[in-house]
Amino acid sequence: MRVLLVEDDADMAKNLRASLAADEHDVEVASDGEQGQAMAANGGYDVIVLDRMLPKKLGVSVVKELREQGVSTPVLILSALHDEDHRVEGLNAGANDYLGKPFSTRELLARVRALWHGRDRDVQTRLQVGDLEMDLLARTVKRGGKKLDLQPREFRLLEYLMRNAGQTVTRKMLLENVWDYHFDPQTNVIDVHISRLRSKIDRDFAQSLLHTVRGSGYRLEA
Amino acid sequence: MRPSLALLRTTTFRLALAQAGVVLVFVVALLVYVYFATIGQLVADSDILADQEYAALERAYAEGGIRRLNQEVVERAARQGPLLYVLAESNGAVITGDFQQLPAMPRDSVQRVDFSFETTDSEGVAQRSRARGQVGRLLNGPILLVARDLGDSAVITGRITRVLWTVAILGVILSVASGLIASWLASRRVEALASTARDVMAGDLKRRAPVRGEGDEFDELAEAMNAMLDRLERLMQVSRTAGDAIAHDLRSPLTRFRQKLESALEAPEHSGNDREALRKALEEADNLLDMFAAVLKLARVESNPNWRFERIDASDVLRELVEFYEPAAEEQGRTLRGEIAEGLKVNGEPGLFTQAVSNLVENALKYTPEGGRIELTAVRRPDGRIEIAVMDDGPGIPPADRDRVLERFVRLESARSSPGAGLGLSLVAAVARLHKGGLHLRDGLSNAQGGRGLGAALVLPAAA
Repeated sequence: MRVLLVEDDADMAKNLRASLAADEHDVEVASDGEQGQAMAANGGYDVIVLDRMLPKKLGVSVVKELREQGVSTPVLILSALHDEDHRVEGLNAGANDYLGKPFSTRELLARVRALWHGRDRDVQTRLQVGDLEMDLLARTVKRGGKKLDLQPREFRLLEYLMRNAGQTVTRKMLLENVWDYHFDPQTNVIDVHISRLRSKIDRDFAQSLLHTVRGSGYRLEA
Repeated sequence: MRPSLALLRTTTFRLALAQAGVVLVFVVALLVYVYFATIGQLVADSDILADQEYAALERAYAEGGIRRLNQEVVERAARQGPLLYVLAESNGAVITGDFQQLPAMPRDSVQRVDFSFETTDSEGVAQRSRARGQVGRLLNGPILLVARDLGDSAVITGRITRVLWTVAILGVILSVASGLIASWLASRRVEALASTARDVMAGDLKRRAPVRGEGDEFDELAEAMNAMLDRLERLMQVSRTAGDAIAHDLRSPLTRFRQKLESALEAPEHSGNDREALRKALEEADNLLDMFAAVLKLARVESNPNWRFERIDASDVLRELVEFYEPAAEEQGRTLRGEIAEGLKVNGEPGLFTQAVSNLVENALKYTPEGGRIELTAVRRPDGRIEIAVMDDGPGIPPADRDRVLERFVRLESARSSPGAGLGLSLVAAVARLHKGGLHLRDGLSNAQGGRGLGAALVLPAAA
């Protein structure tokens, strides 16, 4: 997919470009806010990765103006200021995701893919991965026709994994999207929640759906 | 304002009390002086008068014998005046004079007498009166008494004494009252200074002592204190902004460093050893970056920018946190139990509030040994504030160290072996201050060693 990277720090931009390219994306780089906005407005990008602190025009203003111009390309804001109010400000301006620096490359790659993948996911009422089915209206989950009994939080966790099926989701993405927590728990809390969910959806079945991606996170895949 | 009993302990009140003592001593001295200057003089005068009369009569006796003396006494006793006379035979039988009976028998030839007697005033009412004078035996036996009626002067004496006592009591009451008022006024000013100091210590660096503009010593003290606080605030700002700037500026190169390590780790040409070393280095870089992030977050909370406060359903957030941590706690062989009252609401920044409580829970998880218990309770206290307590049965923190662990980077010797930068509780305390509340460390649950674990209580004002 085509990614526009707007980042003024040349060293940072070079590294990110290399990482994104290694993940098989076509990357173009803009080095300030105005240039970034002009390139984004001309279209053709699948995802925009935008630094918050940019010369000439701040990332938040760029997103806001792009949205006003009717450009709906998913935007991920990168920021050294990872605080609640900045995050809310970025999301309110129209960004789709917000990632605080420092982040691991895998985290960034996972989020870029999730953004692309999940562009128009909100209209769905049924999700399916292999023989695992989720009915979002009846709030039921079945695997191989057999009903599974999930707690409300487990349901949301599975829903997020199913919406991003085939993609790697990081622990941080789960924390932010399933629990709306924006801090790093120091214990293996997420892993335990995942293993509980796994025991419900995978234990009695020959094929495992919920996979651990070492060093990154998890992936639900048939 | 402190309870009024404390007023009695103030220096000003003690000074006032000392002043009252001095007034008392002065009045007593004055009393003694006035007594001798008035009554003493009166008595001495009457003694001289009586003595002169006695001498005059003695002379009359010497010149004209008993007949002449008798005549003189009859004459003088008939006169108006305060002097009283009695002439008696040697056995005490009264010959003539103001009394039917001799009030006192002389032992020696001449002696001083002081006696009381019945008299009738102008309306014929009997009254007791005092008299003082001289009595003595004359040559060949007759007894002569000359005395002065002290009636008037005794009344004067009584009046003077009463007035002096009244003055003394009023003086003492006045000086105690003025002392109380002075010490109340002074302690009010001192209390204003003390409350300023307390607020500053509690983290409100902007607070200043009130200056009344009267130019008195309290204003001088308040001004000096304010100047000191200005300087302190500037210094803290300088050191804080310097520290935060360093943390901020170091973050970008560290992030690049981390990225390079990461891409090096991804490259296929490294051997297993290199890979392990790179992985370790990456881990260390992450720890450093986490620490910087924590310092910067703490700085942002403490420097009090415009955080967006909203009404938080604390009961809800806390229940979710317990539900979030409970599986991990169980996995690690610890029990986490929540006992959360319904409908607790606070005004706050949701992210910071959640993180503060999560820090307390993680702290408890970290320091509680396997098999340990952790309890999260939330109640509305009788004073209306909301108390969220996380109690564990771990090793606890000795009371002497409890204040210290809330400071930045302080980690107790016993905690050196576990990961962390010593910022977790500092952040909770800073978040508590931002929300006009406090973090209090106290005894937690009973532990296996017979001691107490740690109890950390976050006390916040309830939302209306």
